[in-house]
Amino acid sequence: MSEIEIGRLLRSGTTGFVVGCKVNQLNAPGFGAMVRVPLEAQYQVYGVIYDIHIEDDGLVRQLITAQDVPEEVLKDNRENRNVPVEIGVLVLGYEQEGRIFHLLPPRPPLSLDAIFLCSPSEVAHFTGQGRFGYFRHMLRDRDKPVEELLAAHLYQARAAQVDAGNEAWYQKAVGELITLMRDDYQGLIKTLSAVSEI
Amino acid sequence: MSEQSVTSSAEAQKPIGYIVGGGLKANLQARLTVPAQKVQEGAFVVVESGNWLFYGLVTDMQLGSTDPRFADEQTETRLPPELAKLLHGQTLFTNLEVMAALMMEQGPDMDEDPEAYQAWFQKVMEEEIRPEPVKTVPQHHSEVRLAGAGDIAEIFGKEGKKGYFRIGDTIEGGHPVCVDLDKLVQRSSGIFGATGTGKSFLTRVILAGLIKRDKTAVLIFDMHNEYGPDDTASDTGMRVPGLKGKFPSKVRMVGLGRGATIRGKTPDYTLEIAESDIMPEDILMLTQELNLRETTPATLNALFNQYGRDWFHKFKNMRPHAVQEDEEGNKVPADDSIEAWANEANIHQLAAIGLHSKLNRLFNCEYIVENPAGDAVNQMINNLDNGQHIVLSFGNHEKDLDYLFVSNLLTRRIRDVWEYRTNNFRSGHQGATEPRPLVIAVEEAHKLLNREMASQTTFSTIAREMRKYYVTLLIIDQRPSQIYDEVMSQLGTRITGWLGDSDDIQSVLTGLAGREALRGMLAHLQPKEEVLMLGWGVPMPIVVHSRRYDDAFWEELLEKKARRSNRDILRDIGF
Repeated sequence: MSEIEIGRLLRSGTTGFVVGCKVNQLNAPGFGAMVRVPLEAQYQVYGVIYDIHIEDDGLVRQLITAQDVPEEVLKDNRENRNVPVEIGVLVLGYEQEGRIFHLLPPRPPLSLDAIFLCSPSEVAHFTGQGRFGYFRHMLRDRDKPVEELLAAHLYQARAAQVDAGNEAWYQKAVGELITLMRDDYQGLIKTLSAVSEI
Repeated sequence: MSEQSVTSSAEAQKPIGYIVGGGLKANLQARLTVPAQKVQEGAFVVVESGNWLFYGLVTDMQLGSTDPRFADEQTETRLPPELAKLLHGQTLFTNLEVMAALMMEQGPDMDEDPEAYQAWFQKVMEEEIRPEPVKTVPQHHSEVRLAGAGDIAEIFGKEGKKGYFRIGDTIEGGHPVCVDLDKLVQRSSGIFGATGTGKSFLTRVILAGLIKRDKTAVLIFDMHNEYGPDDTASDTGMRVPGLKGKFPSKVRMVGLGRGATIRGKTPDYTLEIAESDIMPEDILMLTQELNLRETTPATLNALFNQYGRDWFHKFKNMRPHAVQEDEEGNKVPADDSIEAWANEANIHQLAAIGLHSKLNRLFNCEYIVENPAGDAVNQMINNLDNGQHIVLSFGNHEKDLDYLFVSNLLTRRIRDVWEYRTNNFRSGHQGATEPRPLVIAVEEAHKLLNREMASQTTFSTIAREMRKYYVTLLIIDQRPSQIYDEVMSQLGTRITGWLGDSDDIQSVLTGLAGREALRGMLAHLQPKEEVLMLGWGVPMPIVVHSRRYDDAFWEELLEKKARRSNRDILRDIGF
């Protein structure tokens, strides 16, 4: 099980949550990576990172407009910010008593819950269960960069599945995506164009 | 149904698609799940739905897409091949149109319920359960598969079963397709196809099957001397064995006219027509060929009334324009002149002279004689009665006139004999036996059965009567549209090769259900290779790769049953 903590929960809902993290924690998570939030014994929520957001603050604004700011001051203000980096996570499902569900979780995580990055074996375990039911959640919100998110997710999940010896997973996943999106010509072509980049 | 075919039916076969729509009036629609090239128009398919099997033919294949834009855009140029293939597999598809023809109850699972299976199997063996016309539809998503050898045998009969004769193989799979020869001859049949599509070879195959079966007498009017003697194929130059050579004791070759030779060989005997056998209706049938006038029936009627069966001989010997001097020295028509007879019979002189002139073509026929050397017609009837078959070769008399005149006259006489015998048999006359069924094979049938002549020839009577007097026709023709509709509609079984003319196609399909679906199949048959069998004599329409008429055919047909070893016999009975 991965123990790479990437931050703590800022705010949450059933369909998604926002994680706050320090800048020095930002090396680990990436767009499309899967994360998990252990909540209690035998229960944890899984999600995928769809957004990484860095807000400005008053000091940053002053430093940008100031003249001849020493390098060490800039570095200090970049790394020791008062405002955390915000990571948007889309909920994909949950695990309860060892069983994976590609459904929205019964309860969302609470503030300050620790968020961990999923290891490749955890990714393979979650994505290899069922029949890609979690794609529903990724396709639901068209305001998000769905095509890019799917491409990034497939890239990472394929690598995890290949490591787990499941070479056929990628084809099945793309096939399922096409089935789900075949009535949306524009969306499907955009998604496949993005997927073809990986 | 044999146990083997039951087992074959139950064999798991890979599905090629699943039902997505359709109905009883419209054909069934099936989504193809294998590459389109694996299935062809005319393929025999089976739909498995619950406890029922539906048997049908693929009559059309249509390309479809979930959105027209997927079909319009060549996505393979924009996407990697792997993705493009996945996309096409989901969004582009081929639909099969399946004309369901028969359905049959499938037994319960032998492993799940052995008792119910045994009960069902017993019913099948006793033919209580057999294929029946389609009266319902399969469920959505029922699996469709290509028919296996067991399915074909289930519907068309198994080769080797008495009366079942392999006429060809299915296009997909090459499974044997049989016809029930005993059923085939119960009604008149037709073999059609444009010139050069293998009609004659197919006819030879069927005739050979009938002769081998030996339940039916066969009389062949061999206009072009190709069925009796050995022949050479016009296209390949290969030697084509004749029926006489293969069935020397069963087939009698009859030549037309004294001294006739057929391809340099002497026939078994020759046929001469006695002048007294010619009736006025035999002449009227030649109205078109001889360009006879409207006055002809009256003139012939007068001749027959006056001279009876001698009318032809008397009229032949009348001299046109012959004159003699009367007692006063005036020139008057001679006593043996046509004019003198016309005056006496109250017939217009010019009409009689005109008819005489036109009948000269018949008067000059060397095979029409006053006193034939033997009674060849009776000999032919005896041969046909005694389990032999006749090929009447026309030798050098290949004109339409010879063919029309002789075939019609002969058929009339033979049918009269069969009618007489049938009536005696049915009325229970002492000693009367059931007549041997007779099939008369007629080439260039449209010349005898066209709209103008159909009402006058014996052939149309036979076609209409079906099997009433134990005589049926086997019509062979390249222009079925020229055959009178009423005759066409009476044909029980139709076996047709490729036809190019839309009228001919329409005509072959007259009176059959699913004409529109079959029309395309007929137009797309491969010449010389494929034939479509349809009509009363076959359980359902089917396209077959017709059996080749070659040495292998004869070896299979004439093969003597090998003695079976004790081991084989023991194995068959389960030891």
